[in-house]
Amino acid sequence: MKVFVAAVAFAVVAAVGVAMVLNSIQEPSSVAFTTSGARVSDPGHNLIGSG
Amino acid sequence: MPSSLSNLRALGAAIILLFAFAYPAAAQLSFRPTAEAVQEDQLLNALQRGDKITGRITIPDTRASSLIQPAGRDWRDFQRSRLPIIGGVAIIGMVALLAIFLMVRGRIRVDHGFSGAKILRFAGFERFIHWLTASCFIVLALSGLNISFGRILILPLFGPEVFATMSVYAKFAHNYLAFPFMLGLVIMFLIWIKDNIPGKLDLEWIKQGGGILSAGKHPPAKRFNAGQKGIFWIVIIGGALMSVSGWFLIFPYLAATVTVLQFWTVIHAVIAMLFIAAMLAHIYIGSIGMEGAFDAMGTGEVDLNWAKEHHSLWVEEEQAKAHGPSDSTPRAVPAE
Repeated sequence: MKVFVAAVAFAVVAAVGVAMVLNSIQEPSSVAFTTSGARVSDPGHNLIGSG
Repeated sequence: MPSSLSNLRALGAAIILLFAFAYPAAAQLSFRPTAEAVQEDQLLNALQRGDKITGRITIPDTRASSLIQPAGRDWRDFQRSRLPIIGGVAIIGMVALLAIFLMVRGRIRVDHGFSGAKILRFAGFERFIHWLTASCFIVLALSGLNISFGRILILPLFGPEVFATMSVYAKFAHNYLAFPFMLGLVIMFLIWIKDNIPGKLDLEWIKQGGGILSAGKHPPAKRFNAGQKGIFWIVIIGGALMSVSGWFLIFPYLAATVTVLQFWTVIHAVIAMLFIAAMLAHIYIGSIGMEGAFDAMGTGEVDLNWAKEHHSLWVEEEQAKAHGPSDSTPRAVPAE
């Protein structure tokens, strides 16, 4: 039982760790697709934007 | 005067000619939208699989230039119609088979009864890796099935708000638990590969149906019998395919084209259904299907009689090691 609990706990900790790493690497579309010739505005929480 | 008459005739002819050419042009212009719609339809029908209509864009992501890709409709139809059928047949079929097997064969008992003596089958680290991979797999399977069947089965029961919120968190769990699952997969491969190489002994085990079809028959097996080896390779190969395809799903920009991405989503979905069906059989035989089997991953120690019946050659090896000069620690110990 201890081994099972330890394995589940490790899985949760590892998943949270991966989430934090990936979120720190990931760029929002407004940053990733902005170039020197085109600026993409922040769409906010809605992909369509505030309008 | 003749000159002016001639000019007048020329002017008249020019006007007639102008109307003669202009009228068809005007008539063609009035039908253009319909004509173009027909042409567009013909164009779409003429596009071969994998072909697409592209436009010109200025943003860096060149794949955004795909305007129309008819193959996408086939992919969508597959996801919505054929995939649920494949999954339903594989998973419900496996549950039905196991239920029939349980009713016909019953639990596989230890023929000679429990001896009371125990033998260490799996060390703590092995069980840790097994449960790490297994617990991740269960969440991955349930959250994955939600994508294929949730809209049919769960949405009508709980409504769109609950279903949407649940699906969002399920997707987070799916994406992030995939990483400890992949870690577990790699470590399992490394620690158990040496005991899972197929051999001649496995053919004999398969010929005798593993001894599980009738009581009292127990073909000899080493640490893992042919059935367990089969599960091992299903997990490793299936897990590898799920990992590679899942990597493309988490990081879709890795795929060169949308078609490549669609290919990996199909691989991910189909392998997932078969993988889940296979794991149902593994869970069954490791729990209710076989008496004494769960102890192997539960406490790590199994009853000596169970081990002798299902892994006779492995027990001989372990007992030889325990009594050998190189290892003074007995591996089989009496239960207290």
